[in-house]
Amino acid sequence: MIIFTHIPFIIAILLYFTSSVWSIGHIIKPVFFNKAVGKWSMMMGFLIHSGFLIFLGLESGNLPITNVYESFVLLIWCILFVYINLDYLYKLPSLDTFLVPVVTALSIWALTFDGGNLLITVSLQNFWLIAHIIPIFIGYAAFTISFSLSIMYLTQQRQLKLKLFGPLFTKLPSLAEIDRLMWKTISFGFPLLTLGLVFGTFWVKTQNILGEQWYLDYKVVMGLATWLIYAALLHMRLVSSFHGTKIACLTIAGFCLVLFTFIGTFFMGSKHAFQKMSTQKHKEF
Amino acid sequence: MSILVVGLNHKSAPVEVREKLAFNANNISTALSLFLHRHQSAETVILSTCNRVEMYVSSLDGAVKTEDVLSFFADFHKIALNEFSPYMYHYADDRAVNHLFFVTASLDSMVLGESQILSQVKEAYTTASMDEATGKVMNQLFQQALNVAKIIHTRTNIGKRKVSISSVAVEFAEKIFQEFTGKTVLVVGAGEMCELLLKHLYEEGARTIVVANRTFERAQEIANAFQGQAIKYELLGEYLAKADIIISSTSAPHYVIHTDQVKDAIRHRRGNPMFLIDIAVPRDIEPEIANIDNVYLYNIDDLQSVVSQNIDERTREVEKCRSIVEEEVEHFMARLEEMKIEPAITLLRNHFHTIGKEELARLKTKLKNIDNGDWEQVIYTVERTINKLLHHPAKVAKQEAKNGGGYRYVEIIRKLFGIFHHTDHS
Repeated sequence: MIIFTHIPFIIAILLYFTSSVWSIGHIIKPVFFNKAVGKWSMMMGFLIHSGFLIFLGLESGNLPITNVYESFVLLIWCILFVYINLDYLYKLPSLDTFLVPVVTALSIWALTFDGGNLLITVSLQNFWLIAHIIPIFIGYAAFTISFSLSIMYLTQQRQLKLKLFGPLFTKLPSLAEIDRLMWKTISFGFPLLTLGLVFGTFWVKTQNILGEQWYLDYKVVMGLATWLIYAALLHMRLVSSFHGTKIACLTIAGFCLVLFTFIGTFFMGSKHAFQKMSTQKHKEF
Repeated sequence: MSILVVGLNHKSAPVEVREKLAFNANNISTALSLFLHRHQSAETVILSTCNRVEMYVSSLDGAVKTEDVLSFFADFHKIALNEFSPYMYHYADDRAVNHLFFVTASLDSMVLGESQILSQVKEAYTTASMDEATGKVMNQLFQQALNVAKIIHTRTNIGKRKVSISSVAVEFAEKIFQEFTGKTVLVVGAGEMCELLLKHLYEEGARTIVVANRTFERAQEIANAFQGQAIKYELLGEYLAKADIIISSTSAPHYVIHTDQVKDAIRHRRGNPMFLIDIAVPRDIEPEIANIDNVYLYNIDDLQSVVSQNIDERTREVEKCRSIVEEEVEHFMARLEEMKIEPAITLLRNHFHTIGKEELARLKTKLKNIDNGDWEQVIYTVERTINKLLHHPAKVAKQEAKNGGGYRYVEIIRKLFGIFHHTDHS
């Protein structure tokens, strides 16, 4: 049954993979790899992905975050949702080449979490849950995009340094443009992350869901670290008007923290409102 | 109708000969009208640029010969025929069309794929058509040539890559800064190449320009030309941190810009990138500077190698362009054949309608009492019948003419229906 419910997501992943191949291929051999194929397979994948989430939501009657797998799938959806909107608004040239492979990799990784042995313990019909999760997810999505932009920045600056003036050099935008977009996406994501964290704090304070020592929860600690690194980035940009490779490297570090906060903490034993299925069942008995 | 081109270019003739035959904006109209005065049924366009002088002529059944055009050149410029005729080339019909398409698409230019020739051809054609020197054939030919050039520029990479040092440098600068408004350009030394680069950057929007040179007067001279600021050479170090783009071309035998200075500058700039171009030999900028973060340094060799790579790339595209040109020449020649038959078809149509009108007039005298509505129906029916009868043969004749031999069909039509063009009698 689990395999069956997977199928739409696997199809979406295949489409993302096709899109990755085409968007990379477009740079190397534009005659053979038509850009439209890349774009439309991503869009098709996104539609199927959306349908899959709706199906999951309808099935459980809730936001599809009842286990780690579902929330991962939702996060990836958010990344694409934010990307498609930003692309529509700002016309981000060649970003798909850098973002869609990341999305594909994350999706494949998400698949490995299906087994659903970590189930959410809090009530899903909770205002605080939505107020905590949604802003953070959209913030994470923006950070993923800024991560792809940093990779793009470092690629382009490497080409300029090493004097590699091939097709990739011509297709990528200027350093100034990538820098500007990086700044835009981070300054879009940061307030959302802040909002999500603030709501989370309220929630934990009022309803005591993580126990007395909630502030020692790995996810809480890492969340704070993530917030700090992006705050530092914004400070450097706003107050000291920093640019260039350092900012790009910090953005990459920020994204690694995001990933670690989101997934890594589970490996460290943090439950953060999720619980092993077996223990929960045990409780019910 | 035949098409002829007579001319010379940078490959066939030295500049001493080209300049003697060149036309300019002041005398080109006179030349066109003088030529048409000599050959009244002809159409002509004169293309005169610094690399070529060419005369395109179309005349009925090749009435204008190469010798006529040559003697026109000799008479107009008042030079002896033998002084320039060995340098001239001439092509007729499809080869002439091929030549024009080649020229317009910049496949015959000194700098392969440059875009200036396109506007020069456009201008030559506009001048000729304003002076009423062009007709049906030349209009079609030149409009098609401009079209083909556009097709070639969009479908191939012939004009995509930059092929001059300064345009390559500007392209790199664009890949760093996106745009130059608000960017500061620091020029060290006052060589010719520097000025060329500066001009390019100025055209792209750079407005804050600082010039430093050993002789202050020369610095001022350049600064004035670009509304910039001249500074004393000794103050160079102070301005480094403010500069986004630095162009250096002094004749100093040693390095002028040192690693420590740039390290210091980049710290002040907080990671804002710096773009340095060293076009001096021996070099002005310490090469180790390239290792500093956010600093991009290029010397003359770096730029030159990109230029030659890009030229190679353009040369590789020529074959692709050639096959597009050949295809388009074929289309145009077919269209020309079709054009040849058009007057004959018009004549045929007029001939039929005249007969129809005569017969109607005869009928009208017989049917005195017919009311207006009915009479209109009769006229309508007769005209419709004629049009229907002619529709198919006209279509087939046009189609057949496309494959060549338009004249044969003209002859057949004339013979079959006993119609003659009035000019045939003259």
